[in-house]
Amino acid sequence: MRIRAAVIVALLLFVLFGIPQLFSLYYVDSMTEVAVYSIVALGLGVLVGRVGLVSLGQVAVLAIGAWAAARLLFATTQPYPVVLIEAGLITMVAGMVIGLPALRLRGLYLALITLMLAGAITVVLDTINFPNGGRGFLGYNGSAVTPPPIRLPSIAANDKAYFQYSVVVAIVMFLLVFVHTRTRPGRAWAAIRQSEPTALATGINVTLYKLWALALASFITGVAGGLLAGASHYLYSIDFPAQNSIILLAVVLMGGAYSMWGAVVAALLYQFLPALLQNWGVSADWLTILFGLGVVQVLTTAPAGLADQVPRDLARLGRLLRRRLARARPMGPMGPVGPAAAGGDPQ
Amino acid sequence: MIEVTGLTVRFGGVTSIDDLSLVFEQGTCGLIGPNGAGKTTFLNVLSGFVRPAGGVVRAFGVDLLSMTHFRRARWGVRRTFQTEQAIEELSVFDNVAVVHEHSKLGSATRKKDVLDAISFVGLDVAPGAKIRTLGAGQRRLVEVARAVVGRPRLVLLDEPAAGLPDEETSHLGEVIRRLPEHTGALTILVDHDMSLVSACCQTTAVLDFGKLIASGPTAAVLRNDDVIRAYLGVA
Amino acid sequence: MPPWSDFEPFIVSGLALGGVYALSGVGLVVLYRATGVLYLAFGAVGAMGALIAWSVQQAGAPGWVGWVTCVVFAAVVTLGYGLLFGPPLAGRDPLVKAVATLGLTLVLYGVMDLLWTTSGGEARSITLPTDNGGFTVASIQVDWTQVIGLAAGVVITVATGAFLRYTKLGTAMRAMANDREITATLGVPVRKVEAAAWLGCGVLAGVAGILLADLVALDATTLTFLVVSSLAAVLIARLRSIAVTFAAAIVIGVVHDLITPITSLTNYRDMTPFVLAAIALLVVSRRQVISRSREEA
Repeated sequence: MRIRAAVIVALLLFVLFGIPQLFSLYYVDSMTEVAVYSIVALGLGVLVGRVGLVSLGQVAVLAIGAWAAARLLFATTQPYPVVLIEAGLITMVAGMVIGLPALRLRGLYLALITLMLAGAITVVLDTINFPNGGRGFLGYNGSAVTPPPIRLPSIAANDKAYFQYSVVVAIVMFLLVFVHTRTRPGRAWAAIRQSEPTALATGINVTLYKLWALALASFITGVAGGLLAGASHYLYSIDFPAQNSIILLAVVLMGGAYSMWGAVVAALLYQFLPALLQNWGVSADWLTILFGLGVVQVLTTAPAGLADQVPRDLARLGRLLRRRLARARPMGPMGPVGPAAAGGDPQ
Repeated sequence: MIEVTGLTVRFGGVTSIDDLSLVFEQGTCGLIGPNGAGKTTFLNVLSGFVRPAGGVVRAFGVDLLSMTHFRRARWGVRRTFQTEQAIEELSVFDNVAVVHEHSKLGSATRKKDVLDAISFVGLDVAPGAKIRTLGAGQRRLVEVARAVVGRPRLVLLDEPAAGLPDEETSHLGEVIRRLPEHTGALTILVDHDMSLVSACCQTTAVLDFGKLIASGPTAAVLRNDDVIRAYLGVA
Repeated sequence: MPPWSDFEPFIVSGLALGGVYALSGVGLVVLYRATGVLYLAFGAVGAMGALIAWSVQQAGAPGWVGWVTCVVFAAVVTLGYGLLFGPPLAGRDPLVKAVATLGLTLVLYGVMDLLWTTSGGEARSITLPTDNGGFTVASIQVDWTQVIGLAAGVVITVATGAFLRYTKLGTAMRAMANDREITATLGVPVRKVEAAAWLGCGVLAGVAGILLADLVALDATTLTFLVVSSLAAVLIARLRSIAVTFAAAIVIGVVHDLITPITSLTNYRDMTPFVLAAIALLVVSRRQVISRSREEA
């Protein structure tokens, strides 16, 4: 356990300080978006992996957060962290208001209604557009030729610093979710995931805890939206197309909806790989195809439910790596010396 | 004491439970009957998963049917399921603790109550053990520990010994026999294993096609002609 | 509020569109009832078929060759998916099966964008010979394609209803909707019935693809996501009744188009299917029964 914690800390330090030094600006910007989308993937993971709610519209939720943050950043001079929290809260309330009646539905119907609601939100956003410094409630100035960019935090006013800022915010969001999973809501969610009748028989108010998961996922996605506003400088509704929600679900399933690492893997698939391919002149469509195949593969090989503890492929990959590492390790009389080589702890 | 009066349950065209009136005194009561008789449906009514078409259930003076399912669980209705439902993701301790967490008991006695329940059922594993490392019999015991922790008032056991080998069944029988005295709860045991029912239950009721066909002291009920006919069919 | 005459052409276009949505919806419902799969790739498959038809026509072949290719393509891909991924996912939750079809959607979407890029090029279009001819009804212009759209919806709904009720294959499909396992034990060739359902759905996807490409636009994204309107109709019918699907689809099509001339609402008209489906679902779920646990008494 200690070793794991040390590895994680080392990794985070590398990410925070190594990446801005070693990577070009193009990739630093891409990694900023990875940080943003890792939060979004984490939110979707909480919904799908912990409570079994499939949302086909998380990108629309992200758009709400981005919209709220942009509006506040233009209209007020509040410090960035305050704006991020406010964007998170606004998104959280929106998610709960829209989500509560939908919670009466189950499984397929619930997923489809998220698709419907996301579609409605997308149409509204297409019409009202994103704030660009204009006046009025919507803050959109249609005739502005050179609208002002969205302001950045005073302590992170350049791309490299903003990357570090985003990573720190992401770490905070991950910690928030982590604390949830280790305490009462996490246990209640585990019971709900086992089966709803079991949870009810345990005395758990299932609707309340589903709503809590929804609130948490919406809050962090709203905060991510705020980060995205700063990262993008200018927001347009075409940045949030409907198909992205589906691609997001695909990568979350592939990365593993249950584990937190899965959210990071999902974000890398979603944002870093396309940037890599684009740099090499390969079309990102190949990734779309790959993700489509990935979804079908994950679902046909996962034995239970939509969110297996660790997707088979990643688990296989992990075991393969561990075996390779074990072979390189000094051998004691009973086999490889060091942390257990048998079956990983998926959490 | 549980008083059931005129309980009727319908699923579409099928009447699962037909005007059932029954009283459960204290201790452990058996509920038997052929497959499809309505036993699990009855437990589902008590747990709150099925809404009856008519009837009243009074448990310890309280109108049980007026409470929603999870509130009944908090009040003290506990159950195990036909297919064992120990929570895979949680450790043994957390499995039992989560019931305690959502009951009306405070966190001060939680650790003690949980460990008490685990030792009462005779589960000899580390509390931090993960469910997936346990065998079928041990998982059942976790489920029973969840049913007895804290202060249960009504414990519903749905075929707890199904699929278990003899020695584990008899251990389970021991636990079930000591249940009412240890917890003060009224226990209803649904099972097909007649020796288990004989060993644990002072009284037994028999359902067939949703109707009550016999009830009373277990030994007498098991010898009852109507009951034998219901199980074996008319010659 | 614009004058009534402004609305008139939109009634016609709405009915035509609604007819095609109905056609799609019926295909989705029948497949769902026979296999438990909600075929979310329906739109994508039709879109790609339409693009193939366009390419075939660009290569100089006569129009009808293109349409036939489109339908054949849609049928083959759908049947192929059903045969390959139907069995391994057969016992799973409908949600899992539906999400799997999203995988197919992504694959098709990626292929479409690769082969028929939208950047830097003129908009493509498909025209049917029936676009040109037409007639006038009470001073409203109607072209034959629109008639075909509505007629196809009506014909398919009626024919499918009759098929399900009066033919052996149709009865088998209805039986499977209830319980696949039991139907298999009754000696019904379950795999064959499923294959028939997949094939039928695929054919309808191809037909819908061509009609929508003509009536709306030949654009991969638009056509792929137009399936949402049919989905809304299917949801309103709770994946059960073909008649309700038809009615809902017509209403969605007509309401959507009728909003077009109303300047204050016109930008929001694409919300129509979403709003209608959401309302229908939430109204219906008020009477939701507690989820029954898996165990049977």
